[in-house]
Amino acid sequence: MLIDLVEETTKVRHDAIIYGVPEMRVVEASRTAPGPEDVDNILDDIIKGLTKPLTAKEKKTGEWTPEEPRVLFEGTLPDAETFYRQTENIPGILNATFSEYTDGLPIVIPTEERVKEMLTGTSHSPDEVITLQRDMNVPGGLFAGFSRKKGEVIRFMPMSRTATVEQVAVNAVMAGCRPEYFPVALAIAESGGGTGDGRGGGGSFVVSGPIYKEIGMNVSYGRGICCPANVTLGRLGRLLWRNLGGYKETVSTIMTYGGNGSPLLHAEYAEGLPPGWRGLNEELGFKKTESILTSGGGGGGMGGGGGQSWMPGVYRALQKSGHGAIARFLNVKGILGPHNFLDYLLDGMWATREGGVTLTMIPSMAMDLWNVGFKTKDSVYEYIHKKSFEPLSRYRMRGVPDLTTNGWMGIEKTSGKHWKELPDDYPIAVCPDPWSNCIILAHGEETVLDRGGGGHGQAYSIDAWR
Amino acid sequence: MAKNDAVYKCLNPKGTQEPVEQSALAPRLKSLDGKTIHLSICGEPDITIPLEKRLKGDYPDVNWTVKKTYNIVPIPLTEEERKTTDGVILGVCW
Repeated sequence: MLIDLVEETTKVRHDAIIYGVPEMRVVEASRTAPGPEDVDNILDDIIKGLTKPLTAKEKKTGEWTPEEPRVLFEGTLPDAETFYRQTENIPGILNATFSEYTDGLPIVIPTEERVKEMLTGTSHSPDEVITLQRDMNVPGGLFAGFSRKKGEVIRFMPMSRTATVEQVAVNAVMAGCRPEYFPVALAIAESGGGTGDGRGGGGSFVVSGPIYKEIGMNVSYGRGICCPANVTLGRLGRLLWRNLGGYKETVSTIMTYGGNGSPLLHAEYAEGLPPGWRGLNEELGFKKTESILTSGGGGGGMGGGGGQSWMPGVYRALQKSGHGAIARFLNVKGILGPHNFLDYLLDGMWATREGGVTLTMIPSMAMDLWNVGFKTKDSVYEYIHKKSFEPLSRYRMRGVPDLTTNGWMGIEKTSGKHWKELPDDYPIAVCPDPWSNCIILAHGEETVLDRGGGGHGQAYSIDAWR
Repeated sequence: MAKNDAVYKCLNPKGTQEPVEQSALAPRLKSLDGKTIHLSICGEPDITIPLEKRLKGDYPDVNWTVKKTYNIVPIPLTEEERKTTDGVILGVCW
């Protein structure tokens, strides 16, 4: 007997088939009715669900064997364009149109010839199933961490589908990718295409390593709009979510969440790092010469901006002459830089959010930090973490810790005590650990930086897919 | 033949949905009296607080067992608990 919320039932019925209990009995609760009234409304149905004899349909067993043809359409290119453009009207989104095969934008038609050409971008066989290319430990974020093993078949959510190299190539063609981008496309697929648990797809991907030059990626602060590699690979996550994962709003997912999908992929400008600062590939256990993709980090995840913002000139005024708002805040008026701007940046950083801080930064600002004593990225991460402490009485008012502390029933890790045993003034780090912070270097001169959440994310070898 | 008249085979972008064994529902209970019914709660407590109170108050002859987590994944029953549990009510993550 399962209780869901009214608008989730289509998705629950969908999942019940995928997980082998197609006739699961479901009772619908309300998202808005007061709890006791809601119980009044559904209690009888819950009891009936446990006691009413099974129907013949509910006793039925068998195998669900959906099949999709490899060749989807045969005809002229104009007719194919019409075919791939088809949409359906979905009641759960007020009969808005929803694309059957695309992310809503026009696509490059995936003819057999074009897909074959895309496959020249990898040494992997077209019928190889996408699997994890190395062992991986996934650290705990909102939930407990876990381990994954090399060879694990990748499941694309929300439909828990699998995919072959060729099926990824079909989507890569549709996104407008070129064959030389294909190893990156396959690494995106290995990451699950950013489909997560199916609710928020599209992903937040960052490339680190020499491949960015090979395929002409733009590593600038502007994230590479008008750069084919950045834009088409960034788009790929949305197509994988739709086609490999089977994302269909309110049908295969609930509508509570809905990632709009990253329209761009961006890459790290490791050459601009100060001495001793490691690139993302090295930070994540790879060599400087190896190319990797990170997924789930890089400004994605929960918690966006925060902290103080400034116009580029305000920052220049601080460092060049000790003037302006940041100089007043740091009490260094008239003193030439370099100054540690982190204290200004972090003022109010956690006023409306929790978690680590991902900074996308240009080389001169990274060098300013290096000059004031931050000789490694880790030292910046540690500094941010230490700045994030607040008393437990304030921390209790935040929304996300209700979930992460298991309703305050768990153990607080720094004290080893139950949350409810701790005094109100016990210091809690809102940025839970240094590693939850991340710096991504971008090429550029304007002295501003982006801040977001997400941390480092998980790393996937691009070279493994060459 | 003009290029627009050429016929192409166009491939399917969808992933592979693997076959799934479909199970029948477990037989229903004739009565709840004396039975062990498990209430599995995950996600933030919403309806589940008044629901637990009502079930225990209205059906005192049931041996109610409860597992709760704020996590989105329910806490599974152990093999031993599965042998002694007659029914399960699962309140999914809200």
